[in-house]
Order: sequence, then structure tokens, then C-alpha cells
Amino acid sequence: MKRTIMTKLMTGLICALLSLPAIAQEDELKDLPGYVDFGDLSSLYGEPKIIINLGGTMLNFVSMMSSANSPETSELISKLKGVRVQIYSTDKNPDAARAQFNKVKGDLKSSGWEPIVQVNEEDQQVLIYMKMKDGNMEGMTVMVVDDEEAVFVNVIGQLNPAELGKVMDSLDVDVDLDLP
Amino acid sequence: MNKYDDKWEDRINALLDGELSDTDAEALKAEATDDRELAGAIVEAYQLQRAMDAVHVERAPASLRKRLRTIPRKHRAASGINLFQPRWAMALTAIPLAIIAVNLMQPDTPSADEIAKARQQLAIAFAYLDKAGSITGREIESTIAHTMADALRGSVNRTIKFSNEHTKEKEV
Repeated sequence: MKRTIMTKLMTGLICALLSLPAIAQEDELKDLPGYVDFGDLSSLYGEPKIIINLGGTMLNFVSMMSSANSPETSELISKLKGVRVQIYSTDKNPDAARAQFNKVKGDLKSSGWEPIVQVNEEDQQVLIYMKMKDGNMEGMTVMVVDDEEAVFVNVIGQLNPAELGKVMDSLDVDVDLDLP
Repeated sequence: MNKYDDKWEDRINALLDGELSDTDAEALKAEATDDRELAGAIVEAYQLQRAMDAVHVERAPASLRKRLRTIPRKHRAASGINLFQPRWAMALTAIPLAIIAVNLMQPDTPSADEIAKARQQLAIAFAYLDKAGSITGREIESTIAHTMADALRGSVNRTIKFSNEHTKEKEV
């Protein structure tokens, strides 16, 4: 009897240990000070139309691959520890997304994030928050909610928004977003 | 312990237990006749055996004997692998440690496709950041423009008002 329990325990332990890398990758971002929990709106809007979770390891590889063509881009990416994006289609019904927007905003305020810009139009809300420590940026959060979509972006690490434009060209990826 | 303890021990024990053949027993006794140390060892062993025989051994109660007999059965190694045996416990402990070590020493290296996909995802993330920046930038420009316009309008109005009042005073 004891042997059976022991065998099951050991099997469970080995299985848990084998799944460690996947768990660790997810937790790698959660433990960082610039991480923000956006919650889950999939029960209201379905699965996000875009979901991005880039951890430090992958960003390091992207940075290395960019170093030859664009040292500037490589330098910018190397300062990032994680990039997370969740985009839902609100489909003319942004109320739930707005509620989540306000909830996350409250969480950010209470956890030491600083508001940088906030736009409160009737048809569109935009919010940019940053978390700083000792003059260094630990993270940036951008949320946009309108009639078409709810965008939640969390950048963990250091990022100079002024350099984004230059870097986007060097990434050589065609991304065309409709501006309202 | 004399030097014969190891060399002659088996033969002395066999002699005392009556397991030595007559030829071997005679040979041993003959050697002991010429060797005082060997003779002493045989005498000591003989005296020890007699002393042990003299010890009265109490027979344990039947219930205790029954319980004692069950102990080996309870602790008998189960057929196959017993995970409680120290060697198996150590081996099982080593497996998780080996897995952790392999995971730590060999980080997942993404393929070229995965890196290209990550690059594309990063560009999308940056595009959305840029979009948010454009919206807020427009809003800031608009707010500043309105504020400046209001300030200018107020200043102009005040100037016109002052100018009108000044003209009226001159007329008076």
C-alpha cells in the first residue's frame, strides 16, 4: 500500500518537474515588478484577437538577431524583459472593457504606477502609465478602449517611446493599424 | 589477539564442533604439540565453548516467539523494487535533480521561425504603443491649441476692451 502511494507520489513529482520550463516561462514575467494583470475578458468578448507574450529569453534572441542590421533596435530590445499584448474585439459593446479598464487603472494607482497621459473622450479612453524606480523605468502599461477594440499592452523593462518610430522601421514588419 | 586467530580460526572451530575429519584433527593436534601458541588458542577456544555451553538459556514464551517469527516476514523485501530501500530512495531523489539540471543547463533555443514570429509580434506591440502615442499626442496638441487659443482670445478681448475704455476716456 505504502509502496503504491510512494510510486504515485514520485510519478506526480517527476511529471510536475518535467512541466517546470513552461510554468517557469509564465512565472518569469509575473514575478517582475513591471508586470500588470489585465484579467480575462474572454468570457465576455471571446478569445483575444491578438495575444502576445514575449519573455526575456525570446526578446534576447530577437535582440541578437537584430544586432547586425540595426544596433539601435538591438539595444532597445535588449532592455526589455517582457512584452504582453491582449486585444479583444469589443464589437460596439465596450462597457465591460471600460469596467476592466477602470479596474486595472485602480490597481495601477494603488501599486505605485504613475499616470503619464490619459484621454477620456466619449467614444474612446486611452491611458498610459509608467512604473519607475530610482529613475529607471520598470514597466509601461497602455490601455485603449473604444467601440471596436480593447487594447491592453504591458511592456516590462525599459523603453523609450521616442525611439519606437525608428525601431519599427528596422523591424521590417508590415503592421498597419487603423487610427480612429 | 595472537597471529593464529585468523590462520587457524576455521580449523579450531571445526575441531571443536566435531566437523574436522580425523586426519585433519590429528594433524592439527600434532601441530599444536610443537606450537605453544596454537595449543593455547585451541585451549582458549575450548574453554570458551564450555563456558557458553554452561550458560542457561531461558526459553522465551510462546507468544513472544510467535511475534518474533513474524518480524522477518513483515520486513521481508517485497518482490521487485522496494522504494523504501535507501539505494532506491537515493535513485528516485536523483531523477528530479537530473531533470532540473538538464532544464537549467539546456535552455530552450527557439528556431528561426519562432524568432521571426516573435519579431513580428514585437512589431505589432510597438505599433499599438505607437497608435496610443499618436492618439494621446493629438489630444495633447488639441488641448494645447485650445488653451493657447483661449489664452489669445482672452488677451485680445482684454486689449480691445482696454482700448475702447481708453478711447472713451479721451472723448470725455
